[in-house]
Amino acid sequence: MLRYSLKRLLLAFVTAFIILTLTFILVKALPVTLKISTSAGERMGFYDSQVALGYFSVIVKPETEHYQPTMKIIESFVVDKKEYFYYPRPILEQYFSWLGNIFTKWDWGTSTSLELNASAIRLIGRRLPVSMSINIIVVLVSVPLGILLGIYAGLKKNTWIDHTISTLIMIFVSIPGFVVITFLIFFFSYQTGWLPPSWPSSTAPLGTRILGYIIPVLALSFGSICGYGRGVRAELCEVMSSEYLLLARTKGLTKNQAIIRHALRNAFVPILPSILAEFIGILGGSIVLERLYGIPGVGNIYFEALNNTPRDYNVLMVDMAIFTIIGLLAGILFDLSYGFIDPRIRMGAKK
Amino acid sequence: MLEDKDFEFVEEAPVTNEEVPAEEEITADDFTLTEVDSTIHEQKFQTKPTTFTKDAFRRFKKNKSSVAATYILGTLVLLSIVVPLIDRNDIQNSHPEEIFLSPKLFNAGTGFWDGTERYSNIAVDISEMPNATTEEEKQEHWWPSPDVYTQRSAISKKKFTDLTYVNSLSNLGTFGKEGYVQFGFDRNELKGNDFVEFSSQEIPELELTADSLYLSAFDTYDAEKIQAKEGKEDFGLPTNYVLGDVALFFSYYEGDTKQEVQLVDYAKVHNIGSAVASYKKDKVDIANIITTQTGKTTFEKARFAVKMATAGEDTLVCNLIGALAFESNFAEEETNAIFADMSFTDATKALTKTAGDKFAYWSSTGLKAIYLSKAYFCSFVYDTYEAKYGIAVDKSFSIKDLLRYQKNGWMSFKTPLGDSTIQDLDSLGFYLDVNNFTCQILDAEKCPITKPLTIDDFVYPEPNDSGIAVGEIVCKAEVCRYKKYGYSSMPRFLLGTDESGRDMLKYVFDGLRTSLIVATLTFLICFTFGVIWGSISGYFGGNVDLIMERITDILGRIPFMVLMTLLILHWGSSLPMFVMALCMTGWIGTASLTRTQFYRFRGREYVLASRTLGASDARLIAKHIFPNGLGTIITAEVLIIPGVIFSEANIAYLGLGLQNVSSLGVILSDNQKWLSVHPYLLLFPSIIIALLMISFNLFGNGLRDAVNPSLKGED
Repeated sequence: MLRYSLKRLLLAFVTAFIILTLTFILVKALPVTLKISTSAGERMGFYDSQVALGYFSVIVKPETEHYQPTMKIIESFVVDKKEYFYYPRPILEQYFSWLGNIFTKWDWGTSTSLELNASAIRLIGRRLPVSMSINIIVVLVSVPLGILLGIYAGLKKNTWIDHTISTLIMIFVSIPGFVVITFLIFFFSYQTGWLPPSWPSSTAPLGTRILGYIIPVLALSFGSICGYGRGVRAELCEVMSSEYLLLARTKGLTKNQAIIRHALRNAFVPILPSILAEFIGILGGSIVLERLYGIPGVGNIYFEALNNTPRDYNVLMVDMAIFTIIGLLAGILFDLSYGFIDPRIRMGAKK
Repeated sequence: MLEDKDFEFVEEAPVTNEEVPAEEEITADDFTLTEVDSTIHEQKFQTKPTTFTKDAFRRFKKNKSSVAATYILGTLVLLSIVVPLIDRNDIQNSHPEEIFLSPKLFNAGTGFWDGTERYSNIAVDISEMPNATTEEEKQEHWWPSPDVYTQRSAISKKKFTDLTYVNSLSNLGTFGKEGYVQFGFDRNELKGNDFVEFSSQEIPELELTADSLYLSAFDTYDAEKIQAKEGKEDFGLPTNYVLGDVALFFSYYEGDTKQEVQLVDYAKVHNIGSAVASYKKDKVDIANIITTQTGKTTFEKARFAVKMATAGEDTLVCNLIGALAFESNFAEEETNAIFADMSFTDATKALTKTAGDKFAYWSSTGLKAIYLSKAYFCSFVYDTYEAKYGIAVDKSFSIKDLLRYQKNGWMSFKTPLGDSTIQDLDSLGFYLDVNNFTCQILDAEKCPITKPLTIDDFVYPEPNDSGIAVGEIVCKAEVCRYKKYGYSSMPRFLLGTDESGRDMLKYVFDGLRTSLIVATLTFLICFTFGVIWGSISGYFGGNVDLIMERITDILGRIPFMVLMTLLILHWGSSLPMFVMALCMTGWIGTASLTRTQFYRFRGREYVLASRTLGASDARLIAKHIFPNGLGTIITAEVLIIPGVIFSEANIAYLGLGLQNVSSLGVILSDNQKWLSVHPYLLLFPSIIIALLMISFNLFGNGLRDAVNPSLKGED
């Protein structure tokens, strides 16, 4: 088990490495855009920070001696009769210095447009608590609700209650989250005015900030609740018709005892891993929903970094890294937890 | 193989004849033929013969919800093809005269789906009020900004509310005529006694007292007013001040004269967005600047002022003055702390203007002061079609149009001699016979002009002696506008029109068609490629499988949004490139499913038999294994289609959606900004996409249950 886990972790590390390498090269292959409006001194400061990070090179020449450009010079400055030429280094070189900075200094680069010269990882670190707080509430709300709904529907199989719940689940699973949040905002904010139509600012009164959680949590929970409900119901239905449950009843267990001790335990085997994986997902944020509600989370910063002029590539890279790593970790936890939950399943065992 | 030793020779016991009775001789005559002349038939099956497809279809038909979903799906697909063909409205170009018409099915006044909009609490402009003495008369004649809403188009009786407490600050500048400014640190602290009263539209001079810790006054102006006010304003902001920027000022009194220091000019540092976001980050040592520039550390009366003016799209230019009075000997930290408490973000949010004279405002902004102003508000139901298409006076009606109507025979301009009184002179403009002008409407049904024109309706250059005016001529006419735009009757847009005047009915179904095309193309490509990849991987197994699996593993683990973003940034988002980007990871599901099916079937005896008979790998894959797995694969993969539609919409919300063509996702994300004002623009595309997803999922599940009954209930 331990060996298998280590193997999976190593594999995930390699995968993350390959993905981030590809992403870095693809991102850097896009044309460099720079902010024009800032002052020369600030631009030079920006280039110097890029030089320090290893993305750019600088050549300093006395003013009289004109530099023959062989590299694609982005900009040159004259300071104290010296001419500074800044040009981007080849992508692979940039890549290795990027890697070097991460491994040696844990330096993921600086923001180039959202907050000039601020550390990208700190910028995202500031956004993380917002996304996390919403996601934690979503998990706390949706997991118990979804499971209860699923159990209820599963136990009342083929009654009108089951049909109603199943139909509702089917509908809400299918309706995209952005449609749900749009209608929630329309109804609860614009029509009735009960809830704020966008994420309240950090200076808003506490009550308003609490109210601000309701719409995003609802929008994110609907899909989750329905997913769990559907899964639990399907598993429970299958287990309820199994022979061992019949045996349990025959040997004298009451219906409740049989359900709690035998049916539910077995029904949860395929459900628990996805619940555990969802806890990893707390770290991420839904890009579209955060954007629609104006939540300053890690998902929204992805949109901001992408649509800002100029694009903020370093922030984008860190955000992409977060999403990648979350995905990989969730996958590992998902697979491994099967082994913990159900002793019959032995991960990595030879057949 | 059977060998010789497997068989044992068993000696038979010798037959004894004594115990067996002697057999009678049986001759051929003892046998009779029973069915000598009848033909023998095989017995028919008791049940009807059935094929796999028929059986699956039978099972599918039993699933009522899936059948219903199939019908809905079919209807949607049919509509997406038929509606853009039948609907003749133009959705390629913009029609500025037809924007934001509400959905209309029934006649106006029905109350439901009738092309009306309900306006509530629109502030009434008192300055436009005609002479009226009694309160009832006033209310009867008051009407909110006549340029925007015409009385003619209102179909319900006006209902006035008299609000003395105005929640929204925006009403102050334009409509609030009497009111108060309130001092206080917190909204909750505001008490009735602290008002500074004002009675005109002028912003009162804010008297600052030592115990009024924080005060902010808001005012709304338009651009010219700000320009005009620059010099006169007490704060005396620099004249080179640019609209759309933020700056922080500090003003104080030296004796009786007012002095001012500019502390931070955020305009020079950032654009307005980042200034708002990061003002706290740029640690400006305010106290230090004040001390160095004024040479003083204590002040009798002083305040900070923030000037902010946003001149963006749909934003009312606003001028925010945040003032802060503080006691004469505030410590440096205290000053900075109070400054940090002022919120730029909040102020912009409070005054962001949305369309239709409504201000999006939420009291979460932590405003430190509010106005109490008295204003009248008006609620009414408004017929958008009457407002856009109804009869209205056009003050500069095109003469070319008049001539065209004459040419069509709808109206005529005649002198007693029979010639036209208006003529088009290509180079000189128009020619108008001033003395002999008569006008007649010949075809009242078709002619957009409702009343015959008289010479008084024209503005023309000085005529010559014979009464001929030549040059630029302007005409004022009462026009029935739907006729002018070329409609024979008042148009009816079932789903309304959007910000460019596009018919939403056609636009939505056109978008649906694009979405379906994108989804189908993606499905076909992913399916083909995934099946080929999965077949090779599953059929050959071993190292080939291992390598191919690793590739799909890595590709499949790249977050979808990240991959799409990068590909679209590199390739652009034309339709083929968009489909290609969607296909990059879309095939992985099909591939792994196909691989599983191949693992299942490749060891079967019939495959072995076929191979023994000399069938090639390609033949085995294509003819023997693949058809067996096809049912399972295709039913699971039908669900790619709703998945693609969903992904496409998600990407559109990132601003990376399809370009030049409209898909459902593009329509939804484009119209998101109108949610508060014109919700119908989102309602119908949302319903369509939700319906599409639900019916696709139901259809897919039904199909899977039918083809693969063992999977039933797994959903």
